[in-house]
Amino acid sequence: MASTQTNVDLASTPAVGTSGLLVSLVPLPQEAFEATLSNLALAFPGESVFVATPDTAPQSSSGSPLRLVPYTLTTVSATPWVLNAADYLNAYKLAQENHATACVLLGGESQSLHPEAIRALAKSALQSDLTLAHYELGPREGLVNSAILYPVTRALFSTRPRFPLAIDVGLSLRMAGRLAITAQRSIAAGQDDGFLWPLNEAASANCSIAEVNVGARTLPQPVAPDLNALLAQIAGSLFADVDARAAFWQRARGTQPAQPISQATPIAEPPPDIASMLDAFRLAYTNLHEIWALVLPPNSLLGLKKLSVMQPESFRMPDNLWARIVYDFILAFRLRTINRGHLLGALTPLYLAWVASHLTLTSKGTPPEKHIQDVAVAFETDKPYLVSRWRWPDRFNP
Amino acid sequence: MWQQIELALRQSAQSVLVKLARFLPGLLALLLAVIVLTAIGAGVATLLRRILTAAKFDERLARNATGPLSDWSPANSPTALIARVAFWACVLIGCFIGISAFDAAYPGDSQISNFIIPYLTHSIGAVLLLIAGTVIARFLERSVLIGAVNAKLQYARFLSLGIKWLVLVLTAAMVLDHLQIGGTVVELAFGILFGGIVLTLALAVGLGSRDIVSRSLERSADHRSPLDPIHADPDFKSPTPQETLRHF
Repeated sequence: MASTQTNVDLASTPAVGTSGLLVSLVPLPQEAFEATLSNLALAFPGESVFVATPDTAPQSSSGSPLRLVPYTLTTVSATPWVLNAADYLNAYKLAQENHATACVLLGGESQSLHPEAIRALAKSALQSDLTLAHYELGPREGLVNSAILYPVTRALFSTRPRFPLAIDVGLSLRMAGRLAITAQRSIAAGQDDGFLWPLNEAASANCSIAEVNVGARTLPQPVAPDLNALLAQIAGSLFADVDARAAFWQRARGTQPAQPISQATPIAEPPPDIASMLDAFRLAYTNLHEIWALVLPPNSLLGLKKLSVMQPESFRMPDNLWARIVYDFILAFRLRTINRGHLLGALTPLYLAWVASHLTLTSKGTPPEKHIQDVAVAFETDKPYLVSRWRWPDRFNP
Repeated sequence: MWQQIELALRQSAQSVLVKLARFLPGLLALLLAVIVLTAIGAGVATLLRRILTAAKFDERLARNATGPLSDWSPANSPTALIARVAFWACVLIGCFIGISAFDAAYPGDSQISNFIIPYLTHSIGAVLLLIAGTVIARFLERSVLIGAVNAKLQYARFLSLGIKWLVLVLTAAMVLDHLQIGGTVVELAFGILFGGIVLTLALAVGLGSRDIVSRSLERSADHRSPLDPIHADPDFKSPTPQETLRHF
């Protein structure tokens, strides 16, 4: 039975030499690049570390122990705010050329990473196959990750890391090689900007996974933040990855121990304005009901009907309803019940309804992280539902 | 006189019977060709389905992410699509062979196949046009509906139905033109109908729903730029900027 041990590495580790480490940077503005180089110099004082960058090194860095490895971008990424297939492939090639044993990929806005966080990532990369960063985000940040990415990967792949769509990641050479193969396949299919899911890859290959707390970090934002297009892109990529690894996650068993939830008193914030999200959901319920009926079973449709008439102050989407909606969309994605573009477009109003419910709940005093963990538990509890419908899509249709 | 009438009737009946006797073999040849080729088509379709299923054609295609073929296939199965195409191709070939056999078996200089076969090919083209037009209309209707709903347009359903009927009317006009039915009448009717639909949509969006459009525009403008506070008025409470949600 496949299972994956994950280590939540939040404690400091014994000092480990960082020779044979490659740090790969994405294109950065000049000021941010210089600040990142300064942080890297502080993170690895006096140590020789390869730093791969497509940017021109400033004059002042010539005396630094950091060894700059320039690389040329073959294409301009349409999604520079997240690591894509080309980044992983490039990092692996550079690691091989420079005989590195581990590599750390830092995403956009990397100048906001604390040097200690970078060092922790590097140390963990030398010990584990995959190291993901754990960010301290505000209660209204990273909502797609909280709603879909984290619960799905936790439930299906039995993994703990909180941020599966990596912005900063540490890889062993073995793990980098595995991801490079996946990246090559994606690039060969003409998807240079395709997203990779290193957590799913590591879980499927039974590689060691670690998570490092990097504290607060400025997350890079999409240039043109069109929620519909971005949600379709990210959710579609995750659903396709889930489809490709069905043989693994149908066997994976086990639930994850509860993540420690901060006991600090949540900062009082003004109640959120969810009116526009509720309007969007109600408009979608009126107009997209026939499309949702092709994907969702009657139970879920009834739940949505009840939601559509709820008052804003008591708007609450049950966690198991949201879990089943996401699972039904994953199944419809696999079966191509309707055109995949249409399917992912129809998911957006349902996601906004979840966000409205989440914000309403947290404005009443529930810690946001507690609700997110409850949602993840609901996904784990309803995993047998997905497995049954996956195996017998015609027979098991509640 | 009655004998002459009787003789004329007997001669015309005999003539009809003779023509029928000449016609029947041709008809039999036509039916036989269609039935035989249909049976062959069914056999070919079954064989193809078994071979492609054994070769896991659907799974291989899905792995290579050939979205369009799977999206357009019945029950999302490219194997079923290929099998059906093979079956109907055999049926069509049967029809062509049957018409040629009918023409050969039917004595005379009429050369029926010279005008039936071209019209049959036009008919097949028209059927394919109709199928393609219907599929495109349904696809566009759904695309516009979902896009308009996500853009929070209140008239999303009206817009999607308008697009669907535009495409269907265009398809119908193309089919009738392809079949050379109606001629100028169809062209005029299409022009009037198409123009009427477009004008109706424009009037509905521009005039009939101008309040909704202006409210949508105001809401979009409010999201982008916060209002400047009027400091002079002590009772004025500057609106707090909307809490920023970060979905990513």
